[in-house]
Amino acid sequence: MIYSGGVHAVRGISFNVNEGESVAIIGSSGSGKSTVLRCINRLIEPTEGRVSLKGDQVNTPHTDVNNLRSRIGMVFQSFELFAHLKVLDNVTLGLRHVRKMSKREAKERALSVLERVDMLDRVDAYPGNLSGGQKQRVAIARALAMHPEVLLFDEPTSALDPELIGSVLETIKGLAEEGMTMLIVTHEISFARDVADRVIYMDEGVVAEEGPSSIIENPKTERLKKFLSSLHEDDVP
Amino acid sequence: MLEHDTRTTESNAPAVSRAVTIALLMVLLCFVSPSHAGGFESSWSVVESGTSEDLLTATEYDNQIWVFGTGGMMLNSSDNGVTWQSAESPTEYDIHHSDSGFGSLLAAGDSGLVLLKQSSESDWLDISLAEASRINDVALMGSGSVVAVGDGGAIFRYEGGIWESVPLSIQNDLNSISFYDGEFGVLVGSNGTILFSEDGGGTWDYREPPEGAGGANIVAVEYYSPVRIYAITDDGSILFSRSDIVAGTDVGYVWTLIDFERHYPPGSTDYLLNPSDLDVELTSLEVLTTTKLMMTGAGGYLSISTNGGTIVSQQINPLGNDTDFNQIHMLTPFVGIAVGDNGAILWTERAGEDDQVGFSVPEYSNFGVFVDETKERFKDGFIATIKIVSFGIVLGFFLGITLAMCKTSPTSLKNLVERFEPMQVRVAGAPILVAGLYMFKSAIPGTQGLGLEGIEYIFLPIGAPVSFARILLGIAFTFLGLLFLSNNGRFSKIKIGALNLNPWRVRPLNTIANVYTDFFRNTPLIVQFLFIHFGLDLGGAIKTPGLEYFSFEKLSQDHNFITDIFAIYDDNGTLIGGLLFNTTFISAFCALGFNSGAYQCETIRGAIQAIPSAQMEAGRSIGLTYLQTMRRVIMPQAIRICIPPMGNEMVNLVLNSSLAMIIGYAEITRQGKLIVAQTFQYAYAWGMVLISYFVVTWTLALFLRWMEERTRIPGLGITGGE
Repeated sequence: MIYSGGVHAVRGISFNVNEGESVAIIGSSGSGKSTVLRCINRLIEPTEGRVSLKGDQVNTPHTDVNNLRSRIGMVFQSFELFAHLKVLDNVTLGLRHVRKMSKREAKERALSVLERVDMLDRVDAYPGNLSGGQKQRVAIARALAMHPEVLLFDEPTSALDPELIGSVLETIKGLAEEGMTMLIVTHEISFARDVADRVIYMDEGVVAEEGPSSIIENPKTERLKKFLSSLHEDDVP
Repeated sequence: MLEHDTRTTESNAPAVSRAVTIALLMVLLCFVSPSHAGGFESSWSVVESGTSEDLLTATEYDNQIWVFGTGGMMLNSSDNGVTWQSAESPTEYDIHHSDSGFGSLLAAGDSGLVLLKQSSESDWLDISLAEASRINDVALMGSGSVVAVGDGGAIFRYEGGIWESVPLSIQNDLNSISFYDGEFGVLVGSNGTILFSEDGGGTWDYREPPEGAGGANIVAVEYYSPVRIYAITDDGSILFSRSDIVAGTDVGYVWTLIDFERHYPPGSTDYLLNPSDLDVELTSLEVLTTTKLMMTGAGGYLSISTNGGTIVSQQINPLGNDTDFNQIHMLTPFVGIAVGDNGAILWTERAGEDDQVGFSVPEYSNFGVFVDETKERFKDGFIATIKIVSFGIVLGFFLGITLAMCKTSPTSLKNLVERFEPMQVRVAGAPILVAGLYMFKSAIPGTQGLGLEGIEYIFLPIGAPVSFARILLGIAFTFLGLLFLSNNGRFSKIKIGALNLNPWRVRPLNTIANVYTDFFRNTPLIVQFLFIHFGLDLGGAIKTPGLEYFSFEKLSQDHNFITDIFAIYDDNGTLIGGLLFNTTFISAFCALGFNSGAYQCETIRGAIQAIPSAQMEAGRSIGLTYLQTMRRVIMPQAIRICIPPMGNEMVNLVLNSSLAMIIGYAEITRQGKLIVAQTFQYAYAWGMVLISYFVVTWTLALFLRWMEERTRIPGLGITGGE
């Protein structure tokens, strides 16, 4: 991926995510973590390379990008709930207009996913009246309702106050235990260690180190060591 | 487009609607009040003549009016016709005609009677014509020079004390003669006879009567000016001739029958539309100004026309319909007499025009009276304004949304072609390039045919719109063709010097929308009104096909309230209402809507751009298409954001609607102008117009404020209040 000005945001990246696996991408700011994530559902068009979902190539001009995106759930750093819609309508919007479900069917499924993220008591609230953690859980429910084959999390907790992070992480952890395929960009090193099956460490647009979550305990490369120690100074897990 | 919200602000809504109700009641109160009617009264007054002889002719001589009649009756008046004395008469024959001028007075009648008075002190000189049975008209050519005409084509000249006959090849009766000066004269008679003399009556040329008057008995003629002659027939028609500068013909050569548009019976505002004639035996004609005529006729007919005869108003006659009037004689355009049978003399100082009683000019300076008299016009104008404003807002809003969507559309040329193989695109490029070049070539004849030079070519879009469109298409197609031909699948930038361009990032919809908004925002609205209505005739262009669709044949069987919005017919198939009724209305709201659309587009675009781009990403990430995301996610939020600036645009639209008066649409400013023209109450009229506009815009602003409150959602934007 090349940004204007000729800077390669990421290059030479190659990794797989197996079904049922949760993978965490860590790395310092500007290392290209979010770019990689956005290339997967083509919110950013990769200039070169190949992205596939279960054997279907994602980044060709012939791909039905809307259908593809409905198979890939995404949760944003700043939630991006639709402010003019109530919690329930936020969740049913995709079901009604992408999955073409009836109002009743959509509501049923929406209520079931909202129950799972523990937001059943606020279905009639507007996003503006929710706390950050609640918003993020609704956003997760919105992505989950589409029954995606993979869920992408783009720093789901970095816009939250520390005391609100817990509920969101609990929700994601629950999903991982249920076997949801997930790709999580995060700054929460301890969370990556606890939840992720594998960890990818990115630096300056390339994968610097990749391996099971135990590499956080025992980094092999100098760069990851340095990154982890810089975190430990102010953010003890 | 607006998602409905249940969060109403209970505390504010009733207060706002109460204010709206009060405002509407105030407006209604202005318009409720009774009105009154009136009638007509004749401005002719009956003057005592002291005789019961039929009075046949009148003329003016030495500051006196002379009237002659049967049995040699002679009357004169020294006080402009108010009182009359009988004069001593040397004859007992009926006197039919008289003339004055050159210090002389002339009277003529039965048995060849001709009497001449060469000064006011001298006696009548009897110069009767022995061989003529009856003189039909006489004209003085000089102090001792006379021309007389009679039945059977008889013309006689009196010169130096001797009568001589002027030979004439026709045998028609000659009825009336009129000289403009000593040389040019016109003579009319039965069977459409019109004769013309250029030598003081010595020789006469035959002139062609107008089509349809070949058999008419022309009874009177007046050579009013060197360029204008009027004549009347006894079957109620008016003939007219004038010199034609363009065709180079002098007066008297070409005659036309005047087409009557309206004939008003006395004492009424109803009229006969396009009568074939005046349905009266006309007897005399008096031309007061170039277009003001007065006529008399049998059966008490007295009439006036102030526009050259096309609209003739018969006036009330205080003597009733039994009196035949024989001649009218005006001293000034306003003061004069009409003489008739049984000694009838009528006198007027108002040109015989009916007085309107009860219609007397209302006291407009009294504000109550002013409002009473003008409220209907204000109401019509108010409704007309509301009509174009509401249609203009709707049209402008939809145009604005469409344009704003086009402007923010991300679809670039790259998006359009990237799904195809580079080879396919290159192959498609060739015919497009050829088409583009062909467009240029085909535009050349139309362009050069105009004969424009240099800077004049900026007016090409008006002179040769088709050629101009071809040039634009040529540019677009050539550009596309070249671009497609150069496609290698990389869609890379082009470097021209310091410029770094990427032609693949051109967004076609954005370009088109930009052209539209640039055009409408960079030209004055008043000129847009004029061009759209008079130049393009948009109203007519919409009305004609519209009426074909909503034709009487279709609607007579099946009409409902929706078709009634477009066209309403009466039982005879005449269009009487609906949007398609009035072409100025169609043009006006289109111009207003087109213009407002360009401005609303920018407002809406601003609101769309204020929505975080991540909202679009969020919508797309759950699988919504671009348009679905716009419709379901972006627009509902953008519309809420743009309600306040949109209020501005709508208020502007209301105020701009006043410019529709320029194309003749009777909205409230135009009505105000008409009211001022009628009442001269500038302060009242324009003040009321101002208040009317204020009521409209203020109501609109209240409505939008209420909308804003109603649709507000928590967490979107800074509102400064709960």
